[in-house]
Amino acid sequence: MALDIKIPAVGESITEVTIGKWVKKDGDTVKADELLLEIESDKATFELNSEAAGVLRIKAKEGDVVQVGAVIASIEDGGVAAKPADAPAAKAESAAPAATKAAAPSAGTGEVKEIKVPAVGESISEVTIGTWAKKTGDFVQVEDLLCEIESDKATFELRAEVAGTLETVAKQGDVLPIGGLVCKIKVGAGSAAAPQAATSAPAATAASSGGSDYAKGHAAPAAAKILDEKGISTSSVQGTGKDGRITKEDAQNAQNKPVEKAAASNGVSAPKAPAGSRVDDRQKMTSLRKTISRRLVAVKNETAMLTTFNEVNMKPIMDLRAKHKDAFKEKNGVNLGFMSFFTKAVCQALLEYPSVNAYIDGEEIVYHNYCDVSIAVSAPKGLVVPVIRNAETMSFVEVEKEVVRLALKARDNKLTIDEMSGGTFTITNGGIFGSMMSTPIINAPQSAILGMHNIVERPMAVSGQVVILPMMYLALSYDHRIIDGRESVGFLVRVKQLLEDPTRLLLGV
Amino acid sequence: MSYDVVIIGSGPGGYVAAIRCAQVGLKTAIVEKYSSLGGTCLNVGCIPSKALLDSSEHYHNAAHTFKTHGIELKDLKVDLGQMIKRKGDVVKQTVDGINFLMKKNKIDVYTGMGSFVNKNKIKVTAADGKTQEIETKNVIIATGSKPISIPPVPIDKKRIITSTEALNLTEVPKHLIVIGGGVIGLELGSVYSRLGAKVTVVEFLDTLIPAMDRGLGRELQKVLSKQGFEFLFKHKVVGAETKGKEVTVKAENAEGQVVEIKGDYVLVAIGRKAYTEGLNLEAVGVKVDERGRVDVNDHLETSVPGIYAIGDVVKGAMLAHKAEEEGTFVAERLVGQKPHVNYNLIPGVVYTWPEVAAVGYTEEQLKEAGRAYKVGSFPFKASGRARASMDLDGFVKVLADKTTDEILGVHMIGPRAADMIAEAVVAMEFRASAEDVSRMSHAHPTFTESMREACLAATDNRPIHM
Ligand SMILES: Cc1cc2nc3c(=O)[nH]c(=O)nc-3n(C[C@H](O)[C@H](O)[C@H](O)COP(=O)(O)OP(=O)(O)OC[C@H]3O[C@@H](n4cnc5c(N)ncnc54)[C@H](O)[C@@H]3O)c2cc1C
Repeated sequence: MALDIKIPAVGESITEVTIGKWVKKDGDTVKADELLLEIESDKATFELNSEAAGVLRIKAKEGDVVQVGAVIASIEDGGVAAKPADAPAAKAESAAPAATKAAAPSAGTGEVKEIKVPAVGESISEVTIGTWAKKTGDFVQVEDLLCEIESDKATFELRAEVAGTLETVAKQGDVLPIGGLVCKIKVGAGSAAAPQAATSAPAATAASSGGSDYAKGHAAPAAAKILDEKGISTSSVQGTGKDGRITKEDAQNAQNKPVEKAAASNGVSAPKAPAGSRVDDRQKMTSLRKTISRRLVAVKNETAMLTTFNEVNMKPIMDLRAKHKDAFKEKNGVNLGFMSFFTKAVCQALLEYPSVNAYIDGEEIVYHNYCDVSIAVSAPKGLVVPVIRNAETMSFVEVEKEVVRLALKARDNKLTIDEMSGGTFTITNGGIFGSMMSTPIINAPQSAILGMHNIVERPMAVSGQVVILPMMYLALSYDHRIIDGRESVGFLVRVKQLLEDPTRLLLGV
Repeated sequence: MSYDVVIIGSGPGGYVAAIRCAQVGLKTAIVEKYSSLGGTCLNVGCIPSKALLDSSEHYHNAAHTFKTHGIELKDLKVDLGQMIKRKGDVVKQTVDGINFLMKKNKIDVYTGMGSFVNKNKIKVTAADGKTQEIETKNVIIATGSKPISIPPVPIDKKRIITSTEALNLTEVPKHLIVIGGGVIGLELGSVYSRLGAKVTVVEFLDTLIPAMDRGLGRELQKVLSKQGFEFLFKHKVVGAETKGKEVTVKAENAEGQVVEIKGDYVLVAIGRKAYTEGLNLEAVGVKVDERGRVDVNDHLETSVPGIYAIGDVVKGAMLAHKAEEEGTFVAERLVGQKPHVNYNLIPGVVYTWPEVAAVGYTEEQLKEAGRAYKVGSFPFKASGRARASMDLDGFVKVLADKTTDEILGVHMIGPRAADMIAEAVVAMEFRASAEDVSRMSHAHPTFTESMREACLAATDNRPIHM
């Protein structure tokens, strides 16, 4: 028997991933726990190891976008593996095992598979059952949507792991712990009319007369044209038409991976879009974008957010940097940037104003006795927020090193979910894009966020004199439900004070 | 003048390409050597032949079925002059429609023979010898086809004629000898057979419409024989001689004997060939294949970048709707769109009565490919609609994949088959199964119910009305 390798649930809010580089080739003999490939999600890159020893049969190729739970390869029995020299010959036979595999689950073994709430992310211990897409008695295919699961952070889709007849256990609105029983699937064929379980090899579908999904992924004429123009292969589009056919709407919504945006050039200078074109481009939101949009709106709706402003004279820090930056670099191997000053100033202020470093959990307020500072970094796929943990205990050097480490990983899409989870307070720097003043949105469930901005020389009145100083506006958005004006303003003034006289950081005054 | 694209030839390939080019924003011109736009199809092909087929069908019904319907007629007679005149009006109105569409889409029309000066310059020579040159970035060759003739039977356009003359006869032949059992010969043979001519078809092969599913050829032969057609299969025409009003065709039969057939008109309808004369293709180096067709790649681009070719002048079925698809395809590709033409799903049609229409694979092709398939057939004899209209000949045959039930081919001969085949094309473009179609409601009573019944037969052999 062959063992299917599926995309594991890699983290909260991740429903699909992109197949990265295969380390092993089709037909390779692999050992258990050997690295097979990398997969990329919107948030991070993961490695996938083999769950068993045997011969690898690759079913998804680099660049394919697949759903969590999708079969991307199978490991065939070690029997073949014993003769690695036969690999090419075994390849030719690969169609046959696929066919028998297809027949096996449909035999109706009577086995009942329990579907439980998966671990959807750290710090999530229970979920709420959302709407059911199927009902008891329905025949479900592998990968069919069963129901939605909502956590306080995001909504996930629960999909069938096996084909069979569904029996729901939890109702909509039920709150279940991780591992709680959601439903059962009686493995095997349902009614005679029900289509057979989908096999990953379309050629091997051995359905009886009548319904089958041989046309799954077949693009209607208009859809085929649109997909070709977008440079998207039909295999990466989920068809919503009858039996999985790709409709025009599916094609319109299909998402173009930026790398593939090759210009359609025919060597023709004809206008691609006539002047004054009013053509709209519709693209499906990525799961990252959907999560962001849902969360931002939730924060706006569910908190009492407002923003307070102040301004900092950056001259003292700039002078300090100018004086010590070479020595700092030489000694530590990293540049002395602004981030360490801001992080340290924020930590100091957080310790003095604990409510800014707290969050609301139901009826309770949770105060953190540590400062995990989230830093908003712009990564290729969008904004990510890695966390500097226990920043309050770090030296300037440690902060700078950690910032560089996280920024590099962000740039390469290598941040792990762990590195982005948690965080008790966020710093965001709109200044790098030239922002003078902004009202950042809180990074839920945190209660406050500090916005940095650009440094502009402004005429300031100092002791009755006009002096030109490098100034930065600071913004603190906060949740008024737990942070009062006195504390938020006090916090921001304290940050300003620490930045304008950095020696205070040394002395803690 | 300078254009984004110049199209040579205004048949269904050329004029559709022109309209689509204009729609996608290209500055477009079309060159046509005749003063009348529309090409073979509108002037001497599809449209006039259908006009005469309809007229002759009315006469035939009046003569043969009206009595049964309860309609008595006295002094029924054919006024061929009026039939040809009405046909002329139909053509004129259709051609005027094309003129209007060119204006509406701001397409410049140049009347005259188009030929290449170079890749980007086309010379237009008017009938009076005047020439002008137009500049262009792209060219689409859509010059169509011309009838083939064979040396033993030289066309004199009076007694030995092509389809063009057959559309303008001044008398109904007494005995029309048709050389070639293909679509055009059978359609025009039908026109005069219905009007009272004896029609003899001389065919080199052993079947009619050989490119289509064999079942269709057999049934068509049966029905046309009933109507009075005579067929000489496996006869190779070796000569023809005209003496006054009489033409004698000599043909060699399968045993090698020469037989003589005497008639008053001979229609040569053995096929058509790509027409590229006068284009001066050599000047730009556009290659043609061994059959004189312009060589094109999958994108219908010739061996010279920026020069495309479509319709009868390139490989593939010589059908107006195929030319139209290709015209649209090239126009859209010129602006970077990526359309497709599914050549397997271009329907073939024959406008005899009953009509013949088919799309997809034939049984012969499936057998050859070794594909496991199922057959579902339904005769019009069992259709209530067909009984009401006295159109009981023919059947619908659906071929479906043995395992998946996907429809692989639909072959029909019967009333309005040419219209009904559209359903099969739609179903197959969406890769429908026979069961899918059988589960869609078909209005009752209609001829199309027979398609549904054939699908039921193909799915599980469970037609309702049989
Ligand atoms: C009797 C008959 C009946 C038919 N019935 C049907 C039918 O029912 N259904 C169907 O689908 N098909 C039918 N056809 C076939 C159909 O007519 C052709 O497939 C179709 O016309 C091909 O279109 P086209 O645009 O490629 O070329 P054409 O229609 O042949 O048009 C080519 C045009 O280019 C012009 N031209 C050629 N060279 C030059 C040049 N150098 N400069 C300027 N102009 C030039 C010609 O004058 C002509 O007008 C029939 C054909 C005939 C003869």
